[in-house]
Amino acid sequence: MRFLELAKRCLKETYRDPLSLGFLLGFPLVFMLLFGFAFSGETTPTYSLGVLDHDQSEISQAFVDEALATAFEITLYDDSSQALEDLKAGDLRAYITIPQGFGEQVYQNWQGEKENIALDITYDESDLIVKEQVISMIDAVTRSFARIEVPVTLNASPIHIESEITYIDFIAPGIIIFGLLILIPTSARMMVRDKEKGILARLLTTPTRPWEFISAYSLCLFAVGIVQIIIFIVIAYLMGLDIVGNAGLVFLVFALTALCSIGIGMIIASLSKSENQADPLSWLIAMPLAMLSGCWFSIDMMPSWLQSIAYAFPFSHSIEASRSILSRGTGFEAVTSDFLFLVIWTVIIFAAGILLFRRKMTI
Amino acid sequence: MSKLNSNTLAIQTFALTKRFDGLMAVDSINLEISRGELFSLLGPNGAGKTTTINILCCLLKPTSGTASIMGYDIMKEPFRVKELIGVAPQETTISEHLNSWENLSLIGRVHRIDSKELRKRSEELLETVGLLERAKDRVGKFSGGMKRRLNLIMALVPDPEILFLDEPTLGLDPQSRRAIWDYIAELKGKKTVLLTTHYLEEADVLSDRVGIIDEGKIVALGTPDELKKNISETNTMIISAENLSAEAIEGLRTSDRYAEIDNVSGKLRVWGKGLNFREVIDYLHFQDVTIYSAALEQPTLEDVFLQITGKELRE
Repeated sequence: MRFLELAKRCLKETYRDPLSLGFLLGFPLVFMLLFGFAFSGETTPTYSLGVLDHDQSEISQAFVDEALATAFEITLYDDSSQALEDLKAGDLRAYITIPQGFGEQVYQNWQGEKENIALDITYDESDLIVKEQVISMIDAVTRSFARIEVPVTLNASPIHIESEITYIDFIAPGIIIFGLLILIPTSARMMVRDKEKGILARLLTTPTRPWEFISAYSLCLFAVGIVQIIIFIVIAYLMGLDIVGNAGLVFLVFALTALCSIGIGMIIASLSKSENQADPLSWLIAMPLAMLSGCWFSIDMMPSWLQSIAYAFPFSHSIEASRSILSRGTGFEAVTSDFLFLVIWTVIIFAAGILLFRRKMTI
Repeated sequence: MSKLNSNTLAIQTFALTKRFDGLMAVDSINLEISRGELFSLLGPNGAGKTTTINILCCLLKPTSGTASIMGYDIMKEPFRVKELIGVAPQETTISEHLNSWENLSLIGRVHRIDSKELRKRSEELLETVGLLERAKDRVGKFSGGMKRRLNLIMALVPDPEILFLDEPTLGLDPQSRRAIWDYIAELKGKKTVLLTTHYLEEADVLSDRVGIIDEGKIVALGTPDELKKNISETNTMIISAENLSAEAIEGLRTSDRYAEIDNVSGKLRVWGKGLNFREVIDYLHFQDVTIYSAALEQPTLEDVFLQITGKELRE
């Protein structure tokens, strides 16, 4: 297979060049870390915690006043529905329910008997801070209060609150798509560099067909794109992105988006004579597309005519599809039309790429 | 075109023309190059040599006219043509981050040569041009001469019927140039070679036939000896002298006699048809010029070129 040989060369040229490798991998890394830190705010965390004390014993009151109060801002509730409402409104990070018999269980522990202790915690499942920090804080506080070695059984009951999607959940899909838009200049650069150096001309004197060139470059760039997507997702996850939906499905959306970017990059490369032409041209296309597609803010704010332009490109579709899969957990049925749009776009852009290559890729 | 011609001709062009925005790069060239022939296109920079090669390699579309390679039309069956040719471009085009093996194998693989055969051929080629020991090093670290040699043998990996070598020794030191000449000389008779050069010696030493190209036109065609013989009525005298005045030089010039100071050697050069040695010497004596030496010179391709185009090859 000719295109496999060409793709192999392309990959070798990429990973053996420390500078280009550094850019291709370092860029998404730095980029995602920066955005992650910028949007994961909250520097001095004092979490507000609701408490429903069903035990009403001296021990349970001491637990609330002396143990929990040292770590949290406590609000006492009599009624769980009121607590739930405050949780939904965002006044509470979580609330715990101290069950009846809690005091007795703790007393048993103090007497040296290994008694299990259970607490119920309710929180918003998209709130990663609760998942990672608050629960472990409650666990630690309870264990030291009850003087037990065994972990406390915390009956966590996460609830899903749609209105409470955190900022990172909202921003991450857009930032990842922006990262994938950068594949436009990357692709254009890779192809136009070979053109400028005459390597393409040399290969054009061999029986290699246009589609084989396109496939080779795409394969190589797609491999780069896949690695970038993995970096993006892993860092976003570490930064607090909540992956509610199917990770494979969202990966597919990103992969199709990468292909669209590669296609656009190839068309720019076909139209440019040198890297000096291709570079500004591809940024000139990538940046407005990022803005227009809603990488940084919701496109709902834009006038409708601008929105229709945005929807003519695949990127706003990918942002919306990935956002709804990531933070609302929607399945394939809900994003079918976005998917279809991405697939059609990919097919068209590649067909155009091959046609243009045929016409323009001579010296 | 007769049946015989189509069987024996490797390259044939039919009023091949290429115009770039009003500039006539190739102007109605008709060439016939036989199989196994080593043909040189000799001309200054910008004469249209590379453009001609690029058209024959199916990289550029001619504005008008066409060409056939081993009987295949370059416009109608470019991929057939591409299977038969090997090209060493003027600019060294190699993948800098690959080693020599990988560079050779890339070209071999896209020509669908199986890996065993490819390995054998690559080894032979690397051995011949003295790169075998460094074959596993990234070519980015190579010297200019080594890169040129690799650039050349990459054209030979597919074992092509026809070889296009565009300025194969451009910018090389004399030693590397000599090594490449030796190698090209070995190919003589085995392959059809179309070579472009603006080094006269290269064309003279290597070629079966030379086409002198200027401003897109073939202005002279023949074996190096034929070309030189054609102007042999023209003699050249090289005179080393003192007290040469501009008037004395001007006085030497007649309608068919030329005289000028050679920029490189500082010697006086006089040439023309039926040049009379005695007459020139007597005239210079009469002008009070002190003559140290004077000799008749054998014509070179440079003289041919100069006479035909009125230009120096090397600016």
